[in-house]
Amino acid sequence: MIYGDKTTGVIVQGATGNQGAFHISLMNDYARSVGGRGVVAGVTPGKGGQSVHGVPVYDSVREAAENHDFATSVLFVPGFAAGDSIMEAASAGLELVVAITEGIPVHDTMKALAFAKMEGCCVIGPNCPGTLSPGELKLGIMPPQLAMRGHVGVISRSGTLTYEVVNELTRAGIGQSTIVGIGGDPVIGQTFIDVLERFEQDPETKAVVLIGEVGGNLEEEGAAATSLPIVGYVAGISAPPEKRMGHAGAIIEGGEGDAGSKIARLRSMDVPVAGKPSDIPALVRELL
Amino acid sequence: MKLLEFEAKDIFKKHGIPVPEGMVIKSPDELYLHMDEFADEVVVKSQVDVGGRGKAGGIIVAKKADVVATAAHLFKTPIKGLMAKTLLVEEKLPIDHEYYVSITIDRATRQPMILFAGTGGVDIEETARTNPAALRRATFSPLLTEVPGYLIRHLLGSAPRELGPVINALYHAFCASDALLAEINPLVTTSRGVYAADAKLIVDDNALKRQGITVNRDLTPREREAEANGFSYVELDGTIGVIGNGAGLTMSTLDLITQYHGSPANFLDVGGGAGRERVMKAVRLVGGMPGVQVIIVNLLGGITRCDEVARGIIEAGVNQHVITRLAGTNEEEGKAILAKYGYQMLDTMEEVVRAAVGEASA
Repeated sequence: MIYGDKTTGVIVQGATGNQGAFHISLMNDYARSVGGRGVVAGVTPGKGGQSVHGVPVYDSVREAAENHDFATSVLFVPGFAAGDSIMEAASAGLELVVAITEGIPVHDTMKALAFAKMEGCCVIGPNCPGTLSPGELKLGIMPPQLAMRGHVGVISRSGTLTYEVVNELTRAGIGQSTIVGIGGDPVIGQTFIDVLERFEQDPETKAVVLIGEVGGNLEEEGAAATSLPIVGYVAGISAPPEKRMGHAGAIIEGGEGDAGSKIARLRSMDVPVAGKPSDIPALVRELL
Repeated sequence: MKLLEFEAKDIFKKHGIPVPEGMVIKSPDELYLHMDEFADEVVVKSQVDVGGRGKAGGIIVAKKADVVATAAHLFKTPIKGLMAKTLLVEEKLPIDHEYYVSITIDRATRQPMILFAGTGGVDIEETARTNPAALRRATFSPLLTEVPGYLIRHLLGSAPRELGPVINALYHAFCASDALLAEINPLVTTSRGVYAADAKLIVDDNALKRQGITVNRDLTPREREAEANGFSYVELDGTIGVIGNGAGLTMSTLDLITQYHGSPANFLDVGGGAGRERVMKAVRLVGGMPGVQVIIVNLLGGITRCDEVARGIIEAGVNQHVITRLAGTNEEEGKAILAKYGYQMLDTMEEVVRAAVGEASA
């Protein structure tokens, strides 16, 4: 529970779009099943006064804040407007924004993250599935039926690959404390190092699975900075250089960020690295 | 998307960076109209998007009398496999010294990063390895609209102060064009001032629309078709077609194929909400690639409707065998639909990959 629990009140920005409306319904189904507060309000400029699955919609975050108590937003606003929405949430005093949106121009992301930091607002994503603390809180689009409550934290740049790993862990009887999809863009708010810091402070978390991919070196940076036992997995050993592999940030550039050298650097820090997702549970069990 | 040198120079010029006098031609004949504008020597530059263009023979200094023949030669000569559609013909600068400057986005600090080196015209990765001390770097808040003076002084060190305004102008160009990279290599000093002798700009694919770019030239025609359908797609050269949902899972599927000694033909991420129509289009696209012997469909997600996906696969009607792993709702129904048409649905990624590799090598 590193980003909230049952008592967390949530708003959805971009509440009236297909994705926003659909996931308000799923997040609130989950909140009901665990006895949490869930999504208390939605925001879409120009759509104030409507309601989505029983959740009232407001024109702005400030207007929603005058009527409800919340400090967390999940954002489904389209790419061209999402940077602005992150800033709106931050300036309204929110503590956490989970930006699901894919396709935000990276200059917008950079500016929005710098602004949010000044306002003391933490951002997960963009281009991410969000976070799930099984039995407590679902912020975003992760399918909760694959997860099981326990003591292993999961951090990943991917969406479905995270589900694959969570599924393997659950099938092996290894529960998860919090699962965090940090996003597939080159510039993201919470990176491995930030999430690991939170896991270190979390009494529920005893070990962490770190799921990386080609591009950048934030996996190694995170692994080097933590005292928690971790198991790594890096996707993209077969990725060709200079090609974007689905994620804007998944690219081997200027001979850097390839999976082979990431794996080698993790292993040189004595981090066990799984060859395939199904090998992860056995490696985690050795650490617990 | 990568811009060509002349396109990048146009943008740099608009932001006040001096560039050499020059013209863009599509055929050598165009030069006859401009002969009286040339000095005794000119530089003829092939407009192809490859690194190390000079060494590969794509840049030639020609005497005025030879410029048409030189242009004709460059139009016929592939540079690292690419043919130029246009050439840039420029004045030859009286160069005193060459420098390097670039602006990129630093993932670790989430900020713009400027790199400056007192030696230009060479491979910057080479400089980083052989002479790291020659490379100065600075990151700063993306909320600033100008590069702070103290950072410019830090970057320049003992280099001429007249380079400072160029660095600031490059930052303006970097922001205005939604660039992932803006680079001048070399940035040169001459007796008559500073010039960007070369220019490189890579525009963020997520910002192409607001930059007024309608066609992403970096993609192959099939990759472009995939993009129009909302897929992420990369062509490889193997025999096993791969369709997955989510970039990480799809990459991981490719990796597993490689680990089991098979060779993936492509990477295709169908994206979220994979339904009947999208899956049908994806299977047809991959089935239409030459050399694909078998296709893997690996979809995982709480809300994927397996029966719908199965119908999409059947409707695609490709010649290759399709082996699937579908996890979601209505799994049994999906399995029954696929089985009726002789397609396999297996439970795990590994089973699917092993079956596909077995078939492709049979």
